[in-house]
Amino acid sequence: MIKKLIAVVLVCMLALVSVACSSGSKTPSSDANENTSSNNESESTPSENGSSEGESSGEPAFMKFPKPVDVHIGMSVSPVDKTLPPGDSAQDNQYTRYLRENFNINVIVDWTAAEGENYNQKVSLAIASGDLPDGLVVNDRTYMVRAAKSGLLYDITDLFEKYASKQVKDIMASTQGRAMENASYNGRMVSLPNITVDTDGIYVMMIRKDWLDKLNLPVPKTLSDIEKTAKAFIENKMAGDNTIGIIGPDKNGHPYSTFLLSSNNRFGFDPVFQAMDAYPGYWLDDGTGKVVYGTLTENTKKTLELLARWYKEGIIDPELGTRDSSAEVVNANQAGIFFGPWWSIGYGNGDSFKNDPNANWQAYPVYSDDGKWNVRMKTVGTSYTLISKKASEDVAKAIIIMNNVLVRDEGIFDTSVAIGWYPLRNVMAPADECEYEYRELWKILRGQADPEDYNIPGNPYKLIYADAKAIRNVVKPADLNNEVLNIQDFDKSDFGKFQRFYSLLIGNRPYATITPDKKVYSVTYNQTETMERKWANLQKLEDETILKIILGQEPISSFDKFVEKWKAQGGDEITAEVQAEYDKKK
Amino acid sequence: MKGKRGNVEKHYYLMVLPGLVWLFLFSIVPMVGIVMAFQDYNPGLGIFGSEWIGLENFRYLMQLDDSKQVIINTLIISSGKIVLNLLIPLIFALLLNEVTQLQYKKLVQTIVYLPHFISWVIMASIVINIFGYRGAINTIRGWFGLEPRLFMADPSIFRQLVIGTDVWKSFGFNAVIFLAALTSINPNLYEAATIDGTNRWQRTWYVTLPELKSTIVLLGVLGLGNILNAGFDQVYNLYNPLVYSTGDILDTWIYRLGLTNLQFSLATAAGLFKSVVSFVLITISYVLAYKFADYKIF
Repeated sequence: MIKKLIAVVLVCMLALVSVACSSGSKTPSSDANENTSSNNESESTPSENGSSEGESSGEPAFMKFPKPVDVHIGMSVSPVDKTLPPGDSAQDNQYTRYLRENFNINVIVDWTAAEGENYNQKVSLAIASGDLPDGLVVNDRTYMVRAAKSGLLYDITDLFEKYASKQVKDIMASTQGRAMENASYNGRMVSLPNITVDTDGIYVMMIRKDWLDKLNLPVPKTLSDIEKTAKAFIENKMAGDNTIGIIGPDKNGHPYSTFLLSSNNRFGFDPVFQAMDAYPGYWLDDGTGKVVYGTLTENTKKTLELLARWYKEGIIDPELGTRDSSAEVVNANQAGIFFGPWWSIGYGNGDSFKNDPNANWQAYPVYSDDGKWNVRMKTVGTSYTLISKKASEDVAKAIIIMNNVLVRDEGIFDTSVAIGWYPLRNVMAPADECEYEYRELWKILRGQADPEDYNIPGNPYKLIYADAKAIRNVVKPADLNNEVLNIQDFDKSDFGKFQRFYSLLIGNRPYATITPDKKVYSVTYNQTETMERKWANLQKLEDETILKIILGQEPISSFDKFVEKWKAQGGDEITAEVQAEYDKKK
Repeated sequence: MKGKRGNVEKHYYLMVLPGLVWLFLFSIVPMVGIVMAFQDYNPGLGIFGSEWIGLENFRYLMQLDDSKQVIINTLIISSGKIVLNLLIPLIFALLLNEVTQLQYKKLVQTIVYLPHFISWVIMASIVINIFGYRGAINTIRGWFGLEPRLFMADPSIFRQLVIGTDVWKSFGFNAVIFLAALTSINPNLYEAATIDGTNRWQRTWYVTLPELKSTIVLLGVLGLGNILNAGFDQVYNLYNPLVYSTGDILDTWIYRLGLTNLQFSLATAAGLFKSVVSFVLITISYVLAYKFADYKIF
C-alpha cells in the first residue's frame, strides 16, 4: 500500500518536473526560432538545382584551393534544431561538404555553444584568453572592437579587395561606405561585417485588425487613438478576462532600442517614443551641432509620463518587465497591440495564427499628433566574422570565399537543413532588400512580371527568384488593386513560406509604401573609450529608472534626479568624447 | 610496530595525492590570473604584457554607488539564508524524529528532499508561476477581494522571496545531516531522562539539543565560508532591473561586468575583493566558533 503511495507521489513529482521543464524550455526554443528568422530571410527556400559552380571557378572570389585548407571555427548552434539528418554534424553536413568538394575548404569545428547568451559567454572567454579559432562570428561590435584592440585580428584590407566577390562588394557599396567603416578598426578592415535590411530597425505597430472590425473601430493613427483602441479591447474582453491592451517588453527585453542595440527590438515602445519625437538610447544632434543623449531629453520625459499613465490605467501589460516571455502572450492571442520590426508578425508570431486561424494581424506606423511618421534608423549590422591573426593567409582567403559562396548560393541551398548550419554564417543583404521584394512580389501577383525574369546569376537580391516562383501558391489576393492583404488571402499549408510572405507583404508594408517624415540616425553606434568602463553602470541606472517610472514605483520627478546622477557618474565625460568624435567627422 | 605505522601514513599520503594535484591544477594555478586585477588587461598582450595600473580598478569600484549596494544585498541575502537554512532544517529534523511510523517518516523525507535536485533554471520558472501576476498567490488574494500584486517586481520583498525559496528548495536536504546526528545520540540518555520524569519537550531541550550543538556550530561555520555567495543561479534566474536595488548580488554584478561588458580587469578586481572579504569573515567566524562553542576544525 505504502509502496503504491510512494509510486504515485513519485509519478506526480515527475509529472510536475516535466511540466516545469517543458514550460522552461519553451521560451528559449521559441526565441531561437525567432532569432534565426530575424536575421535570416531564407529559412524556407526550397531546394532547387544542386550547385551553381563551374561558371566562375576561375576567378579568385570562387577559386578552388589546390590543396585542402583547414579552417578552424567556433560555432553557435541551435539546441532545438532538428534538421540535420542522422549521421551529420556541425562539422560534416551538406554545407561543409559543399565547401570541401567545390573549394577544397575543410571546416573543422573547434567548439560549439548554444546560440544567445551561452555563445556570447564563450566568445567573451575566447577573447579574454586571446585564443580565437581561425574564424568566429560575434554578435556585438563591442566584441569585435575588443578583439581588434587587443591585436587578435587579421588585417584583411588587401585580401578583401582581391578575393571578395562582386556581389559582396555591391552589397557593401549599397551602404555608402557605412558597412566598411563598421568592419574596420583604425582604418584597417579587420572583419567581415554583417549587413542587414534597414527595415530590421523600423518599428511599427502590430494590431489585431479582426478585433478592430468586430468593434467597428478605425485603425488607430496617433497615440491617443491607440489609447482609446487598447481600452476598447480590454473593456470588450476581446480575449476574455485576461485581455492585454498593449504588450510590452519581458524581463529580457528593452523598453526601447539603443545605439548599441539599434535593431530588432521586439515588444519595445519605440513607436510611442518616436511619435513624441523622443529618441532615448540614441546620441542626437540637438540642431546646433551639440551632442545630447536622447534619454535625457524633455520629450523622453513626457513619453515616460504618458507610459506611466497608461500602465496605471491598465492599458499596458501589468506584468511588464517581469514576464518570462512576451511572445507567449502574443502567441496565445491575449494581446491586441504590440510594437516591433517587420518580421515580428509572420515570422515572430507564427503560433498565434496556428491558435487562431482568423488572427488578422496588421502593421501600421504610429503618427505624431501633427501627422508625422518619425523613425529611428539602425546601424548597418551588428554581427561580424572575425579572422584570427594567427590564421594563415590561405585560411583568411578561405573565410572570405566562404562568405562569397554564402551570398551567391544561399538561395539555392537545400534549406530543409537549417541554413544556420552553414559555417561562419553572417548575413549580407542589400539594405533595401525587403522593400525591393515587396515591390517585385506585387508585380508578380498582378501578373506584370514573370518569375523567370528574376533568374539573374549574381543578383544581390539573392532570394527573389525562389520567392517569385513560390508566391502565387501562397498568396491569393481577393482584390489586386488593394495592396492591403488579410490573413484570408494566405494559404498556410507551406507554413515557412506563409510566414515569410506575411512578414514581407504585411509587416514590411508600412516602410515599403510610406516615406517617413523624419529619419533619425544616432551620432554614433559605437562605444568610446570611457564607455567601455562606465557604460554598464550608466545603462543599469537607466534601465532601472525607466522601468520604475513606467511601473509607477517612482514618481516622474525622479527623472530629473536620474539625469543629474547620469551626468555625474561619467555621462558628462562620455558626452564630451562623443562630441569630439562627432566634430572630427564633420 | 613502528614500521607498520609508517606504512599506514604513506598510504594516507598516497590517497591524498590526487586531491592535491587537482587542487594545484584547478585552484592554485588559476590564482595567477589575479594579477589581472592590477592591470589594464589586454588579451592580445596577455598577463605578462598588459599595462600595470596598480589599485586603479579598486578605486573605481569603490567609487561606484553600486558596489556598496551590492555588498549590502549580498550580506543580507546570504546571512538570511545561513540562519534560516540552519533553523528550519533543525526544527524539521526534530519534528520528523518524533514520528514513530517509519514508512511515513521516510515518505515525508523523500518528498521534501526532492526539490534539491531540480536546478534553479527550472525552479525559477516554478517560482515565477507561483508569484506571478496571475499566479497561485494572486489567485488566492483574489478570493479575498485583494488586488493582484507584482511580487517579482517589488524590491521590498525580493530578498525575502530569494531567501524563502532557497530554504524551501534545500531544507529537506539540509535536514539529512541533522537526522543522521540524531540517530547517533545514545538512547541511554533518553532512557535516563525518562526515568527522571522528563516530558518530550524537556528531553529535546536537555538531551537532543546539547548533543546536536557541535553539528549546528559546524554547519554554521561552514555556512559563513559562503557568506558572500548568495547564490548566483537563483538570483540570476529570478531578478530583473526592477529589483536590482535589493536583489543584485556580488556574483550577478561581477558576471555582468566581466562577461557581458568585457571588463575583465574590473570583474577580476571585484572577484578578488570578494575573496578577501570572505577570507576575513571566515577567519573571524572560526575564532568565534572556537570561543563560544569550543569548536575547532584544525
